[in-house]
Formats: sequence, C-alpha cells, structure tokens
Amino acid sequence: MKWRRWNNTLHRDVGYLVVALTLVYGISGLAINHMADWNPSYRQQKTALTIQPLTATDRDGMIKEALPQLGITEEPRNAFRPDPDTLQIFLPEKTYLIDVPTGQVIVDRVRPRPVLFEMNQMHLNATKGVWTVIADVYAVALIFMAISGMFVLRGKTGFTGRGKWFVLGGALVPLGYYILR
Amino acid sequence: MRKAAAAVVMMVVAAAAVAVAAQEKKFGTALTLTEVTKVSDIYANPEKFSGKRVQVQGPIVDVCAQMGCWLALGSDQEFQTIRFKVEDGVIVFPMSVKGMNAKVEGVISVETLSVEQQIAQGHEHAKEQKTTFDPKTVKGPKVNVMIKGEGAVVF
Repeated sequence: MKWRRWNNTLHRDVGYLVVALTLVYGISGLAINHMADWNPSYRQQKTALTIQPLTATDRDGMIKEALPQLGITEEPRNAFRPDPDTLQIFLPEKTYLIDVPTGQVIVDRVRPRPVLFEMNQMHLNATKGVWTVIADVYAVALIFMAISGMFVLRGKTGFTGRGKWFVLGGALVPLGYYILR
Repeated sequence: MRKAAAAVVMMVVAAAAVAVAAQEKKFGTALTLTEVTKVSDIYANPEKFSGKRVQVQGPIVDVCAQMGCWLALGSDQEFQTIRFKVEDGVIVFPMSVKGMNAKVEGVISVETLSVEQQIAQGHEHAKEQKTTFDPKTVKGPKVNVMIKGEGAVVF
C-alpha cells in the first residue's frame, strides 16, 4: 500500500525533526507542572546580614549611608521605600531589603536556572513573535505524529488489531478525568 | 588571522549585546495613550479612575516570580505601589526587569478585599517569595487598586 509507505516515512522523519522540541516541552512541562513547589525558572537565594541602622530621614540620604556599608560600588538601578521602615535597593539580579531602624538586611538574589529558564521561556511562549509560529508548527507536527502513528503497523499489533484498545485506553485518561473530577 | 577574526566577531557580539541591553524592551500590545497618570492621583481618588484606561510609569519594585504575570510599580510618592496584572501567559515578565523602570497601560480595577482574601493573598505571596506572613498585619477590609493591562515598556 503506497499511502502506508508515505505515512511511515513521514512519521519517521517528522519524528526525528521533533525530538529536540519534544524534549524541550517535555522537560519544561515537568518543571512547570510543579510550580507550586518550586520556581522552575529562577534560583532564588536569600541571605541575611546586618549593617548600622540608617539615621537619614530621606531616601537619598539612606542610600548614601547604606551603599558603603553593603560594599556596593556600582550605581544601583533604582531604590524605593515601600513603607517608612524599609528601603529597597535594586541591582541587576539582586535586591537589598533594608530594615531602616535595625539595619537588618535581606539580600534577595535571583538568577535564571541555566537551560531550564530558556526551555520554560519557550514552553510559555514568553517571547511571542516567531516562536508562536514555531510552536504552532510543532503542535501540528505532534497531531500528525499521533494520527500517523496509529497506522504505522498492520495486522495484530496495528490499529485494527490491539492498537485500537490502546488508543481507547489512552483516550479514557482525559475523558475519565473530566467525567470523574 | 583566525584569532583576529575571532576577536572581531567577539567584539561585534559584545557591542550588539550592549546595544540590545540598552534598548527598551516592549511587552505585549503597544502603548496607545500619550498622557501619563500619576499613581498618587489614582490612589487619591480610585473611584474616579475605576474602569478607565491609564498609562502609568514607575520603578519595578517586584515581579511575579512564578509566571511573570504581574509587576508592582513604585508610585511617584513613597510608600505607595500599584500592581500591573496581565492574564497568565499573555505576557511573561522576566525577573531581570526588577529594579528597572516601566511604562504600563491598562484599565484601573478597584475592589474591596476582605480580611480572608488579604490573608490568603499574603500567604500566597510569602510562599512565592520564601518569606513569612503574619495574618495579624491585616486590620480590616482594604480597597485594592490594580491595573489590568496588555502592554508595557521596560527601560
């Protein structure tokens, strides 16, 4: 049968093409699925230290007092006072949260997780634009893989044999979930 | 010769990286308003702005760590912040924008949060930020003002 040969050839070659993207979406999917338990994209590290309480009453004066004590030589990106007792100083990948009356500081360092950050950005289509097209093509390729996969084999192990029961079993997973939840 | 070529390529890449880093980053739909509204003006009279489209500018003092679906912007006045919330997945703000400045546009939403809602939000935020939350800090119902939007420019 000519159509089956075409089906199998395309199934095989499209399969090769989507290996990398399937790994990206699969690994990232596992990571994102457990977002409630961890941050899949960023590594967040909080450390505590103490400096002299800040005596200045205005924001700029507080910054002037705090920077040398914290050993910061670069120009901060920004600074903000969310409440009268707190001063936030922002540096790239680092935020200093200073309790003005006590001098207690929390250094919040946030760094992207290598590789996983990029994978999650792709999975969540964070960049939009061209990636939307790539993700759409990938989704169509996956649909093709699923449908063509059912017709790769003939006979007892093919779709008309035991294959249909496996397909039905697989379909029952999402169907059953929505019926029983 | 190869080393010289490699050095030139590296310099070009570094220059391009610096140029890209220096540029403003656009997220979501383009901003359409020309007038910037002060956050302090919105807080002074939230009901007046409820349901209205505004453009607001300020330092990014916090970012949603999980989905990048909101930014907290500092007001023109101290001790005031406003949250810019987007639908999950519509925009994913990277945490690297924290501390930068943003111009955002969206519709002002004003709602009263009950004590229970504030406590639930406080616990959720504390879990996200790996900090602790003391429910005793919630004294009563609070008027919550946020901007629901689709577009931002970070610089």
